[in-house]
Amino acid sequence: MHLTDHLTDMQLNEYLDNETIPEDRIQIETHVSMCDECAARLTALQALFAEIESLPEVALSRPIAARFTRPVGLPAPLPRFLTLTATLQAAMALLLLTLAAPFLTNLLPYMEIPSLTGMLLQLQRQWITWSDLLSSFQWPTLPQLPALEISSFMLTLTLVGTSMLWLLGNGLLLRKQMK
Amino acid sequence: MAAFTDRELIVRARRGDRNAFGELVTCYQTGVFNVCFRLLHERSEAEDLAQETFMRAYDRLPMFDLDREFGPWIRRIAANLCLNYLESRKVTAQLDEERDVDDGQRPERQVEVRERSAQIRDALLSLPPHYRVVIELRHYQELSYDEIASELKIPLSDVKSHLFRARKLLAEKLHAPD
Repeated sequence: MHLTDHLTDMQLNEYLDNETIPEDRIQIETHVSMCDECAARLTALQALFAEIESLPEVALSRPIAARFTRPVGLPAPLPRFLTLTATLQAAMALLLLTLAAPFLTNLLPYMEIPSLTGMLLQLQRQWITWSDLLSSFQWPTLPQLPALEISSFMLTLTLVGTSMLWLLGNGLLLRKQMK
Repeated sequence: MAAFTDRELIVRARRGDRNAFGELVTCYQTGVFNVCFRLLHERSEAEDLAQETFMRAYDRLPMFDLDREFGPWIRRIAANLCLNYLESRKVTAQLDEERDVDDGQRPERQVEVRERSAQIRDALLSLPPHYRVVIELRHYQELSYDEIASELKIPLSDVKSHLFRARKLLAEKLHAPD
C-alpha cells in the first residue's frame, strides 16, 4: 500500500469492519492522520455505520412462544440415532441393489413374460398344488457367476438380516410417531 | 424457580419438553422477529417467518452444537430463511408504521427517531435481497467476512463487494437531498 495514494472505499470499509491485517491497519491510520480527504471519507463512513446500527428493535404484536407450548404443539424431535438408522437403511438398500444387479443380469435372459390367460392358469395350478410345493420346497440353485460367488445360504442370511434390521429401524421410527 | 441456562433448556427440549422450548422462544423471539422485520419490512410476514425460524430450529435441535451460543445460531437461521423467502418472491410490501421509539423519550425526540428509523428501514428495503442480508449479518449480527461467506455459501470477494455496494446505495438513499 502506498501512503501517497488516497485510500480506496474498499480499504475504508475493510478497516471499519476490522478485516484489515495489522500492518495495513497501521498504514491506514498513518495515512488518515495526514490526509484530510481520506479522514473525511472515513468519518462519513463511520457515521453511516452508526446510522445503520441505530435502528431500534421493534416489539412483537403477538408473542410466538405460546404457539410452541400448546398441548397439541410440536412432537419431540427424533433423536440422532433414529435419523442415522434411516440413513443406514437407505445405504444398505443401495448396497443390496448393487449386489443384486449381477444376479438380475444373469436371470433376465431366462425370464419369459406370459400372457394374462397363461398367468391366471398358472396361478390356479399353483393354488391347487400350494401345499405340495411347500412340502417339497427347495431353494433354487443360483446361476454361476464369473466373479461373484455367493452361496445361497449366505444370500439368505444377508436378506434375512437386512430385513430384520429394516423392520427394527422402521419399528423404532413408527413407535416414536405413534406415541 | 431457578432459571435454566440455554444449554439446559436445549437438552430438555431435545427430550420433548415443549415448555423448555417455549422458554427459549420467549427469550429469543424479539431478536429473531427483528431480524425478519429488518429484512422483510412487513410485520405479519416477519412474525410468520420468525415462527417458521423457531420451527426449523426445533427440527434441527438434535444437530445443535451445545458449545455454541443459541442466539447467534437462531438469528442466522432467521436471516437465511428470510433471504430464501425474498428470493422466492419479490416482496414489494409497503413499510409498516412502527413504534421505533423508547416510550420514555420526549415527544419531539420520539417523532425524530421514528422518522429517521423509517428512513433507514426504507433505505434497507430499497436494497436487493442479497445486499440486505449481508448488511443484516454484518451490522446487526456482527459476523466477520469469513462467517458471512460461510453462512451464505458465497465467495469472500462477493461478501466484500456486496457490503461495499450495499453501503454505497444506503448512503445515497439516506443522504439524498429531499
